[in-house]
Amino acid sequence: MPGSGTRDARRTERYLDGLMAADERRAAEVPIDTEVDPAVQFAARELRAGLVRVHPSFRFEESLSARLGAGAARLRAGLPIDGAAATDQGTLAQFHGRAAAAEPAFAEPAFIAAPADVAGLLAGPTSMAVGMPPVTADLTPGEPASRFATQPRAIWPAAAFRRLPDMTARPSRPLIVGGVGVASAAISIGAVYVAWRHSHPASSRMGRAARAAHGRTGSPGRGRRTGVISGILGVVS
Amino acid sequence: MFGSSEEGARPARLDRDRSLVEAARRDPSHFDALYRKYLAQVYSYAFYELRDHHAAEDATERVFMQALVGLPRFEERVDAFIAARAPMSAADSTEISTFRVWLFRIARNVVANERRRDRRRPVSTLDEAVLISAPEDVVEAAAAREAVGAAWQAVARLPEDRRRAIILRFVDEMSTAEIAAVMDRSEGAVRVLLHRALRSVADDLRSRLS
Repeated sequence: MPGSGTRDARRTERYLDGLMAADERRAAEVPIDTEVDPAVQFAARELRAGLVRVHPSFRFEESLSARLGAGAARLRAGLPIDGAAATDQGTLAQFHGRAAAAEPAFAEPAFIAAPADVAGLLAGPTSMAVGMPPVTADLTPGEPASRFATQPRAIWPAAAFRRLPDMTARPSRPLIVGGVGVASAAISIGAVYVAWRHSHPASSRMGRAARAAHGRTGSPGRGRRTGVISGILGVVS
Repeated sequence: MFGSSEEGARPARLDRDRSLVEAARRDPSHFDALYRKYLAQVYSYAFYELRDHHAAEDATERVFMQALVGLPRFEERVDAFIAARAPMSAADSTEISTFRVWLFRIARNVVANERRRDRRRPVSTLDEAVLISAPEDVVEAAAAREAVGAAWQAVARLPEDRRRAIILRFVDEMSTAEIAAVMDRSEGAVRVLLHRALRSVADDLRSRLS
């Protein structure tokens, strides 16, 4: 024979079932059970009426879906998923050269370098533990920094999920190569053209007359310049 | 196990998410279907527990990532919890998704860790959400807001297990059997827990009204 507490609990459960069912079928009437404590009924109705349906933002939903997809891809490929550890502990991430190192961490607080991280940077050239909270213990000189890298701590998951493959792949950035070379070539071509014009004066009749009148008695530097230009042309040709 | 010879008698066979779970186990990319199905429920649970939007998002992320990784181990755990439970009625069985229960067990642990990690969370966010949903009539809105806010604030002041039971019952609309599975309690204990929780809320409301 159940005690009164158990009986009341069963009645309350039945009342809650009725309340939920009424709400589900959008019934206006709220079930009334005279055997259930009115105060309990009131509390249940208030909670039911005041229930706010919440949903995460679409942006969050899609970004988490993408991260789960990346994790699934890693699992399918037989790779260990960082996300697994990401929920509980830190993981090791590769350094992607100078560009990655120079891009810190203003977007992700978990990447703020702690003393141990800095030491890890100095000690380990290719990898370091990321996403670790700042370490309060002082790192004495000579102490192996790997001690910290091998003791993962609880981290913010976003920091670890970022390292999943297609999440970390940065879009390739077009690089203009040889801009200075192009400019230099244009200047050189211009110089060659000017030198060529100097060494090949116009052959019109008027030109010949002008040269006859002024050409050989020009400025004293003219002959020297012409010699230099002829030298350049000789080299070029 | 799902594939055992006794599977005809096993409640796990009636898991309404079984096909989705098996598809996700064969190809983890199919986990997305389970994720979409339970995202709102897990998020709501985390939101009502943590009362903070960002904390709820973080918790939700952890839950699903742990679920994705732990999916291959799902069978054994479910089997263990089914074996430990009292026999269910057929009606209960059809309602139960063992995957859902398993997912909410993860959520329970994640949220508990989150609450332990930071006990000084702001409590205004949920109240703001309540305000948004208030009806248009100003006077009625004010009264409703007060009552509703008071009811859920009273829930926030409940002890952890009572609060959790109320949230799972009202927010996630779980049956007593499912709540029992999530909370590792017997169904009788959960019934009593819910009854006492509602009485506490009623007492709290009464004292505020008086």
